[in-house]
Amino acid sequence: MDKPTPQTGKQYWRSLEVLAETPQVRQLIEQEFAGYDPAAIQSMSRRGFMKVMGASMALAGLTLSGCRRWPEQRLAPYSAAPSNRIPGVPEQYATVMDVGGVAMGLLVSSHDGRPVKVEGNPSHPFARTFGGRLGAADAMAQASVLELYDPDRSRQVVQRDGQQSQYSDWEKFSAAAAAAFATLGKAQGQGLAILSEASSSPSVADMKRRLLAAMPQAQWYEYEPMSSDNRRQGTRQAAGRELRDILHLTDADVVVLLDADILASHPAHLRYAADWAARRRQADQGNMNRVYIAESRFSVTGMAADRRLALRPARVMALLEALAQRLGAVGGEAVSLSDEERKFVDASVADLHAAGKRAVVAVGEHLSPRAHALAYAINSALHSGAVRYVAEPGVDRPSHVAAITELTRQMAQRQVKTLLILGGNPAYDGPADLEFSKALGTVPLSIHLSHYDNETSALCRWHLPRAHYLECWGDGRAWDLTPSVAQPLIQPLFGGKSVIELLALLMGEALDGEQIVRRTWQSILAKDDFEKAWRRVLHDGVLREAAGAYVQPQAVQQSPTRSAASSLAGFDLRFAADYRTYDGRWANNGWLQELPDPLTKLTWDNAALLAPADAQSLGVSQGDLLRISVGGRSIDIAACLLPGQPAGVITLPLGYGRWASGSVGTKVGVNTYPLRTGQDMHYVGGATVKRTGRVYPLALTQDHHLLNDVGKQARDARIGSKGQSGLIIRETTLDQYKADPKFAHRDVHGGVHLQLFEPPRKFNDPHAWGMAIDMSSCIGCSGCVVACQAENNVPVVGKDQVLAGREMHWLRVDRYFKGEPADPAVVNQVMLCQHCETAPCEQVCPVAATVHDTEGLNTMVYNRCIGTRYCSNNCPYKVRRFNYFDFHAKDPRGGAKPWPGLPDTQQRQAIDQIKQMVFNPEVTVRMRGVMEKCTYCVQRIRAATSERRIAGQKLMDGDVVTACQQACPTQAIVFGDLNDPNSAVSQLHRNQRAYGVLEELNTQPRTKYLARITNPDPGSAPAPKPGKDHGGH
Amino acid sequence: MATVDTVSQQVDRVDNTTDDPTVRAPLVLGGKDFTAVTETVASIAQRKPPLAWYIAFGISLALLGLLGACLAYLVSTGVGVWGNNQPVAWAFDIVNFVFWVGIGHAGTLISAILFLLRQNWRTSINRFAEAMTIFAVVCAGLFPAIHVGRPWLAYWLFPIPNQMGMWPQFRSPLLWDVFAVSTYATVSLLFWYVGMLPDLATLRDRAVGKVRQIVYGVLALGWNGSSRHWHRFERAYLLLAALATPLVLSVHSVVSFDFATSQVAGWHTTLFPPYFVAGAVFGGFAMVITLAVPARQLFGLKDLITLRHLENMCKVLLGTGLIVAYAYGTELFIAWYSGAHYERFAFINRFRGPMAWSAWLMVLCNVVAPQLLWFKKARTNVWVMLVVAMFVNVGMWFERFVIIVTSLTRDYLPSSWGGYSPTWVDLGMLAGSFGLFFTLFLLFLRFGPVVAMAEVKTVMPQAHLKHPTTADERKFDYQPDEHHHHRPARGGHP
Repeated sequence: MDKPTPQTGKQYWRSLEVLAETPQVRQLIEQEFAGYDPAAIQSMSRRGFMKVMGASMALAGLTLSGCRRWPEQRLAPYSAAPSNRIPGVPEQYATVMDVGGVAMGLLVSSHDGRPVKVEGNPSHPFARTFGGRLGAADAMAQASVLELYDPDRSRQVVQRDGQQSQYSDWEKFSAAAAAAFATLGKAQGQGLAILSEASSSPSVADMKRRLLAAMPQAQWYEYEPMSSDNRRQGTRQAAGRELRDILHLTDADVVVLLDADILASHPAHLRYAADWAARRRQADQGNMNRVYIAESRFSVTGMAADRRLALRPARVMALLEALAQRLGAVGGEAVSLSDEERKFVDASVADLHAAGKRAVVAVGEHLSPRAHALAYAINSALHSGAVRYVAEPGVDRPSHVAAITELTRQMAQRQVKTLLILGGNPAYDGPADLEFSKALGTVPLSIHLSHYDNETSALCRWHLPRAHYLECWGDGRAWDLTPSVAQPLIQPLFGGKSVIELLALLMGEALDGEQIVRRTWQSILAKDDFEKAWRRVLHDGVLREAAGAYVQPQAVQQSPTRSAASSLAGFDLRFAADYRTYDGRWANNGWLQELPDPLTKLTWDNAALLAPADAQSLGVSQGDLLRISVGGRSIDIAACLLPGQPAGVITLPLGYGRWASGSVGTKVGVNTYPLRTGQDMHYVGGATVKRTGRVYPLALTQDHHLLNDVGKQARDARIGSKGQSGLIIRETTLDQYKADPKFAHRDVHGGVHLQLFEPPRKFNDPHAWGMAIDMSSCIGCSGCVVACQAENNVPVVGKDQVLAGREMHWLRVDRYFKGEPADPAVVNQVMLCQHCETAPCEQVCPVAATVHDTEGLNTMVYNRCIGTRYCSNNCPYKVRRFNYFDFHAKDPRGGAKPWPGLPDTQQRQAIDQIKQMVFNPEVTVRMRGVMEKCTYCVQRIRAATSERRIAGQKLMDGDVVTACQQACPTQAIVFGDLNDPNSAVSQLHRNQRAYGVLEELNTQPRTKYLARITNPDPGSAPAPKPGKDHGGH
Repeated sequence: MATVDTVSQQVDRVDNTTDDPTVRAPLVLGGKDFTAVTETVASIAQRKPPLAWYIAFGISLALLGLLGACLAYLVSTGVGVWGNNQPVAWAFDIVNFVFWVGIGHAGTLISAILFLLRQNWRTSINRFAEAMTIFAVVCAGLFPAIHVGRPWLAYWLFPIPNQMGMWPQFRSPLLWDVFAVSTYATVSLLFWYVGMLPDLATLRDRAVGKVRQIVYGVLALGWNGSSRHWHRFERAYLLLAALATPLVLSVHSVVSFDFATSQVAGWHTTLFPPYFVAGAVFGGFAMVITLAVPARQLFGLKDLITLRHLENMCKVLLGTGLIVAYAYGTELFIAWYSGAHYERFAFINRFRGPMAWSAWLMVLCNVVAPQLLWFKKARTNVWVMLVVAMFVNVGMWFERFVIIVTSLTRDYLPSSWGGYSPTWVDLGMLAGSFGLFFTLFLLFLRFGPVVAMAEVKTVMPQAHLKHPTTADERKFDYQPDEHHHHRPARGGHP
């Protein structure tokens, strides 16, 4: 600025000095920033620098990251808002999940585009609960949403060459695959093999048909480690065609089960449990069903049965033979039975005869073809009206074992040039004797589509990320072949593709998943009004009228020959799908890993389940590491003593010991597949057991410590003897119940409830929330535990914390064994916050963080809680759970680490962004140092009451359903308003079986339990108690 | 030390543990006059301490550092670093709290109750015991504050007006604790400090060096020994003693309410308030003996804290020990007599369950060991009493452990039964709390007037107008009421 340029027109001036243009002013003007010396920065003194930096850091600290307690939020506004969406209001979509070739009907809640809660579809015939108003889903289906947001899920296409692996992408894969498939196409598919997991999807079947039409020389194999192929073979021989049996338990007065875990492991278990419960509910009318079970393990169904016999696998078969002979279904040489077995057969035969058409016999899916043939013959002989049959689909395929055996042979002979593996994990769960992994390495081009970059992927040339079922279009058929459509609730998070999309890509079809499914459904739905029918299927999630037609049973043809009686030398090993990880596919799911096994209450592990008598003779105690060998193979696995486990049988749950599962599931438990050969997929005899001398810690949520005699006596007084009431468990048999309907109130201690003062409130304004839990209907399946965990953002704590006794489940299933360890009875008592009207926890909290509301909820105010844990000490039910660490931020496989920042910031910064997406936005995510517990799903209560209030309506019974109730197939849990005398819960509270646990402490619980009624045959019923003999007064 | 030793060596030791009620036993030995008493006590603060002090201080400081490290780990990670779990939500944290509060009982009891009951022998040990009280309460106060899950919010326990409009929940015994312990800490501190004023003035007057002169000067609050000062001092001391006396009983009663008012079988007992108070006095006296025996040896205080003092404390220990033993028996009887299943089981489990070892250890330490003190030989042997006191210290810690942890491991529903094992942090913090205690205590020994010089002088024969000079005259001991107006203003009689 040398001299102002001549200006025309009127000039404005800032001050007189400027106008005067004194030299000082000119000098100031020439300096752009007066008083600023740029050199000062370069030559700033150390002291000056520290001063400036100190001040600015202090300011930044104060204002940006310092004293602030509100969460940082990132906003991602819709650029184009989807229609019909009200922000904050969850939407529900019907879909299906396919497990092992059977689809489960689901209803998924989505919050602002995020699926967060998986429930059963009430419209689905195999998902509806007892009563039919709600839809149940099992623990695995409910936990599948955690898999969706699993950060370990495969995110990229991986290309491998020997030991080298590199990230690739779909374009590169498409290019490589196009070249390979062009060549294959020319060769009619010669050298192409496809190994698929079992699928009930009509679209996959359609794509398979198209692929095989284009490449007729290609081989399509199917493998599932948990297979129902024995039933196919058995029914084919017995009835001339492959059949699926559908039990109608509502029509059965007598059910005889042989190793059939129909209430928890069977693909139709939800429906069966609901139907079973329908008959248990009739205890008050004196009309219950009676369930007999003879089994070679201890199953959930075994816990619920009225008479149970634990046998070695060979004896189960012998018993079935005897039963068939006695019922005139087969002839032949009489089977010799032990005394116990004969009594069981006598009783069940008498009952079966008496029940006539209202009786049914079912055998486990894994039992031999002969067993299925016999069951078919018996039911035909009984003219059972409680079992129907549909034709098994996919009859043209070889059995799963035969398929993988043949494929492995071809691979070993280098006949397979290209192998496409659709899902599954055969390198982990294939039969041990096949050495599938070794053969897989020899295939020039192997492609694995999978959710995880797992054991099988590691051996393939290409790993492709598979879209989760909540991310893609699909379809499936239920147990009775009812078809459903699976619709995506979210875009694939990691760019995965579904099976049908991959097949389309490989076949060069430019179709997306939706187009493929719609094309398939053109043949299922009415042609004339496809769009309308399609929309209805999407809405309902099921097309009921397209269920498989019932097949009339034909005359019994031939049955497979009896197998030779096997030797009883050594131990029988029984391989069973785990109740949590199934065949291993859920190993990376923290909710399932931490779900206590319904029988053993074991978390984060599998174990060799051993009868206490065997343990004694082997000198083994709980947690001893055993070496189990059979056929030259052996594994080291910890012993877990299970009362009721048949002597001579060791149950080995599958699905653990994965070596490439992910950060949660890798190296959890012991892989039991190495003992499982293609010959003996379900049992193997002649195993030897040796102690290794090492001890392995087992994380049990109950019986953390073995009880000494003093503890056992006290426990027995509290839970009662077999079939009898104790202080906290009330139960009896149906006959005794009829004789003494008020039995549940006989043993009440301290009946006088002295109260120093009148309670200031009745806690019933405007509603009085209450719950009823029917111990007669509860089977202990633990679906409610996962439902609660998913709904209420309950953290996973990890094995170390379960060992420390800090599991966080708000709802637990207390499992009590009664009677002798060899032949125990089991009672399951779902335990959660009882919402006591005079809550002991509230009185002792110094900061009023737990208080009652006017409707009787014992509420937790998380932000007021400082964590004295006094409430937990004072809770006689021990249902309060404390965040000893920031469990959401803690790695379940690692220890808790110090958090140097403000504690409030830990969750936001430490929890993976993807993992955070699973949180239910309706429920606070609790930080460390805070107590928490069941709220009766207060968020659901508020949502329902608000909705009704806005609509100006009265709240109806059934409007509020807690998450646990929602998931319960038997509706053992009922929630509602006690102010309404007609509500279901009020009626149950008035039931003469209803009692409050620990009522004698004057806690006045709002949760009541309905005493358990069992219906044993007169021969096995425990002797009635001689009068009122209960000690203690 | 040299002076003291020469003096004490020159005079034959008198056995002042006589049980003859017609003879009033002297409470200061070694032929000490007022000057010698002042010299003995005040010189401790003026000299370089013995080597043993440095060793003890070094260990204490190391343990205090461990406590600091554990605290930092605890606060940054979560209370899960302890062994607490689901049924056992309180463990070492609250055990340590109740233990230290109990220790804090003896001081005020000696100062206040024995003062009101005119037990003159208290004067030699009261300063000591009061200091122990203050430091024990410091340790005790630490645990409730850090045992909570969110310690940075522990101040919510205080009724501070806040923007949430929330008061604490006054029905909670934990809140009563806050009031009881903070009141007790405040009054004990005042009592200790007021009682120390004349002695601080003595130290001030003898102080060499600017820093000491200023610090003692400020602490002495301008005491000049005028009659008016003495008058005000005596009144204030009496009033504080009257104020502190009910607190001795209330604080541990209130602490016991944490348990007595709860629902847990094994806690829910109306016996707890008197039982806890007796136990606290028992534990407190054991700790005074534990501290006094080595300290009198180390600092040449044998003539002031005489064997008679120690024997008297042993008698109190035996007496309170018997009350505690009786309470144990009553607890068991009532559990049986109630007929309540859960109550009965809590006690059967205590003595026959998986943690029975801790209950039997408690009985051995608190019931069996003190029985030795029936024998005078044991009561007058410092080694025996030190061992017994150590037993009682351990036993009283385990008493709280048994009550709190064992009762919680097996309560109502067998499904929730569990166990408990401490982690290294639990053990570190227990050791660290001793580090804190001994660091403070050793500093006090080094710099404070460890014996109440002014008060001791009032119980010396020389303080009497007609002080006895012959053995016959010595039978008539000083009666404080009669000689209230006499001040030990003059120099001592040789």
